[in-house]
Order: sequence, then structure tokens, then C-alpha cells
Amino acid sequence: MCTFHVVNAMQVVILSWEYPPRVVGQLADYVKEIAVQLVKNGVETYVVTYHDYLTGQLDEPEGVKTFRVTNPVRTHIGVITWVLILNQEVERATANIYYNTGKQIDLIDAHDWHFIPAAVTLKKALDIPFVYSVESLEEHRSHGANLPFNMAIKSIEWLGMYEAKQLIVKSEWMQDEVVKLHKVPLDKIKVVSPKSNAKLKSILETYKSVAGGARHN
Amino acid sequence: MTRELSVMMLTWEFPPRIIGGISPHVYNLSKSLAKNGVKVYVVTCDFPGAPQHETIDGVEVLRIDSYKNPSPDFATWVYLMNLNMQKEAAALVNSLGGEIDVFHVHDWLAANAGIGLKHVFRKPLLATIHSTEIGRRNGIHIDYERMIHETEAWLTYEAWRVVCCSDYMVSHVQWAFGLPKDKLVMIPNGVDAEVYSKIKRENLGEFRSKFALPEEKIVLFVGRLVYEKGVHVFVNAVPKVLEKTNAKFIIVGNGYMKEQLSSLVENIGLAHKVIFTGFVDDEKLRMLQKCADVSVVPSLFEPFGIVALEAMAAKSPVVVSDTGGLSEIVEHDVTGVKVYPNNPESLAWGIAKILLDEGYANWLKTNAHKKVEEKYDWDKTAQQTKGVYKTVMDEYSKSVWA
Repeated sequence: MCTFHVVNAMQVVILSWEYPPRVVGQLADYVKEIAVQLVKNGVETYVVTYHDYLTGQLDEPEGVKTFRVTNPVRTHIGVITWVLILNQEVERATANIYYNTGKQIDLIDAHDWHFIPAAVTLKKALDIPFVYSVESLEEHRSHGANLPFNMAIKSIEWLGMYEAKQLIVKSEWMQDEVVKLHKVPLDKIKVVSPKSNAKLKSILETYKSVAGGARHN
Repeated sequence: MTRELSVMMLTWEFPPRIIGGISPHVYNLSKSLAKNGVKVYVVTCDFPGAPQHETIDGVEVLRIDSYKNPSPDFATWVYLMNLNMQKEAAALVNSLGGEIDVFHVHDWLAANAGIGLKHVFRKPLLATIHSTEIGRRNGIHIDYERMIHETEAWLTYEAWRVVCCSDYMVSHVQWAFGLPKDKLVMIPNGVDAEVYSKIKRENLGEFRSKFALPEEKIVLFVGRLVYEKGVHVFVNAVPKVLEKTNAKFIIVGNGYMKEQLSSLVENIGLAHKVIFTGFVDDEKLRMLQKCADVSVVPSLFEPFGIVALEAMAAKSPVVVSDTGGLSEIVEHDVTGVKVYPNNPESLAWGIAKILLDEGYANWLKTNAHKKVEEKYDWDKTAQQTKGVYKTVMDEYSKSVWA
């Protein structure tokens, strides 16, 4: 039996489909900024993200431990099949972090819908609670289109909101949209503006409320 | 070990949901494993009228809420369904305190779920490859097919062992995915011969008269009506058989070729000689197999060929195309007739040979029935499978995950 040193700091795994050097939209730099600040505030921070070829573990100078995975199936017919198979690698990498830390992960923070499937399985299997940080919604991205493709993404967003212990949204407008579109109770949603000076304090408060008593020894 | 060995089967079909051969395979294997002291949990897709939880013949069945929104295509549905299957299976394993020893996936249709469960619970994964995309499509031609092919490759990569049901399939899978030979195990399917001996001869006369005139012999095809099953070869053989003898041709099953084939039959003026029954229930299927004067398996690609075994168990003489698993099941002129694949002339010759020689037909079916009882027994399949579980668990116990 292995023994692990006891870590008193909170341990968080952040899931994001974009993270520098892979920058698609605004999310990558935002997630990096949060991760670095979390480390500065004493949180053990892991990021599991996607890169096509820069795969593996990297301990960044700022203290964030990043794990990049790629898609084990190279050929895809669309975003949904690509995302769902990629999720299995995200799930595998996160499970490895969980076991390698002696099951000391307090929570997962999933940014946007992409890695919600992995977060949900990890919750059901290992009782790791998760926060769903909403960047945008399919309803707005698709400009009202409701094809089977859009429905699939909306159903994953709905699942994430249902299974998450807390939602973090970036504006009051988004809070209203989430309530309107997915019928999420208000007390499950926290508004944290990316421009606010107190954003890290709010995020840490949310993490603490989610992590409460979720340690596995 | 104090508790019994426990296994979780992941399958997209399980009775009463029956689409192809995986459903009866998983049912019979699970039932026989339970008889051999293995605790079996089956996680599968839901089906109208079937309960969410039930215990069937000692097997615990969980039917998941599969993906119900319209899907862009079949493969995307499969991956979306796997998200739900994985989620519900994970909750079940968690509620059991993680006490599942092996996850056992059947085909790529449950690959995501099986691979995910392997890593979150750190338990070994076993995969049975019933069929391959490259075999079904006779090559990989478009991205849709390549994606499925690569998913199958990924599943065999993640699996601790890969089980195939014939020597043909072992070498095919080894070739298709470049696997090391010691990763592959051959375990033949079984067939339940008892269900056929239960059917009473005296009940068959009236049943038969619904399908054929007394002077007509019955020629039976059972299978999905798709290209790889060679049902078009069967239809093309119909006029050639009728030149030699009087017969009724019964085609059981559904598939995308159904309309095309039934209009072909009409156009050649033989609609009165060919019956498309569609999907039929087990009882009716078994009675048809009992009534058949010859059962035909004309597949172009056939990993195993369980319908041939069923016909042999039902004492119906068989004509099979000399390919895949069928080549191994049937010995020509001893337990059946082998013909050239994708060749209606050859197929018609084989059918007529049996229909025109009653002595020969009796010789074949007696030998075939004996062979089935000796070799293709689900109890033996279950014992061999249990042996593989034990080997895997033994190796696992020495690994870093244990």
C-alpha cells in the first residue's frame, strides 16, 4: 500500500478545452489567469486540457500543473463525436490525478460544456463535486438554430447544470439566461465578473462551499 | 477472495431489445456465467415496456435512459448514448462500493463507457469484438467508417484482452488493428439446443401450412437485410432453384435492403414464391427453423454465423457460404454444404442438392446436430470466459493498479 503525504491545501482540477498555448477564444487566457491566482492563494491547481500534439504533464513556472491530452480517435465527422471521445482522455487524466494524489481532489471546475461528460462521470463514480463555469450557451451561439447538433450540445449543457453543485456565470444577463433556458434555481448560481477585483475571492468562496466535506481518505 | 467474481457487461442491446447477434450472445453468456458462480451485471439501453431494473436468470439488468433527442447520425447517437450509459453505470458501481472485478464491453457500441469505467475505477477491461467496420463495409471508404474503425482500434488498445468467437475473427482482428497475438482469445459462441427439442412435431403441421403448400419445400434465410449478409445473393438464387424443384423462400429480418429486394422479387414475377416476414419473435423463429427443409447463410462477411448453429440445433440442413466463421462451423458434405460466397449459381446448386436428396439431407442434419451438442454449448463458453476473467484478474493483481 502506498502512503501519501497529507496535503492541507485545497486541491482543484480545472477542465478547459482551451488553455495557452492553445487559444481559441477568450477562455484560454481567462482560465490561465484564474489558475495562476489560485496557486498564489495556496490552492493546489491542476489543469486538464486539450492539445493536438503537446501532450503529457507539464509543471509551469507559475506553479500550475497542466496535463494535455489528445484525441485517441483521429478521424471525426463532427464536433460532438470529437468532444465525446476526447472526454474519455480528459476523464482518464483527471482520474490519474485523483489516484496519484491519494484521492485528495476536492472539486472539479469545468469551463463551458465541452468536458461536462467527464465531470459528470467523475462525480458519479468518485463523488468529486464539480462547479460548472459557464462561458457561453449554445442557444446564443447557434442564433436560434435547433438542429439535432444544437440539441445535443444543449442537452450536455443541461446535464452539467443539473449535476453541478454550483454554477459560476460571468454576468447578471447570463444568470437570467441560465434561469430562463435551463430552469436552474437562483441559489445555485454565482455571478463572478471577470473584470471584478474581487473575482478570486468569490471563486474561492464558491470552491469552499462546494468542497465542504468532500475529501476522500 | 471472499466474495464471488463480479463482472459488468456493457452492451447496446439485450433482450427484449434485439437488433443483431450481440443481444442473444450477451443474454446467453451472462445467464451461463451466473450458473457458473459469476455475479453478472448487465448495463444496456432501455426498451419500451422493459423495466429499468430486473433480475433475469440470476443476472442483474440495468436499462439506462438512452439518448432520446433526434441525432445527426447513428454514430453520434452511439457516443451520446454512451455518455448516459457511463454515467448510470458509474453510479451503480459506486453504490456497490466499487466491487466490480472486470468491465466487459461488446463491440465499439459501448467503447466509451467501458474505457471510461476502466480508468475511473482502475479495473481491467475486456472487449469482445463481434464484428468490425472494415469487415462490414468491405474496406474503409469514408470518414464516418474510419471514425468507427479507429474507435474499434482504440477499444482493442484499451482492453486487457480481446475475445473473438472464431479463429477467422482472431486473425481478422489481429490484422485490422495490429494487435499482438497474445492479447487475443478465441471462445466460440454456444447455442441453446434445448429450446428446439421442446417444440412438438405435431404443432408444426398447421404452422407450416401458413407459409407453404404441402408440395413446396421451405428454404429459410434469417438475418439483417443488409449487404454483408448476402441476402441479395439469396434472392438471385431463387429462380435458379425453382428451375429444379418447387419451393417457398422465407426471408426473416429487417434492414435497409428490404424494399429494394421485395421490388426485385416482384419484378421477376416471383412474389408468390418469396415471403418477407420482417422481424419475428423467438417462438415463431424457432418454429420456422424447425420447419425449414434447408437453412441458408449466404453471408459475404461473417465473424461467426450463429444462425447456422441455430439451424443445426433445430435439425435443419444448412447451406453456408465458405467464408469467415462459417467455414469453421460447417464441414462440407458432413455437417452441411459450403458454397462460393457472392455466387448465386453456387448457392442455388447447394440448396437444390439438399432439397433433391432426402437421404443426404438426413445425413447432414444428424451429423450437424451431434456436432452442436459436442462443441457449441453455452456452458462451455461461460467456463472459458470465466477462465479469461481469472487470468486477467491474476495479472491485474500484480499490476500497479491493484
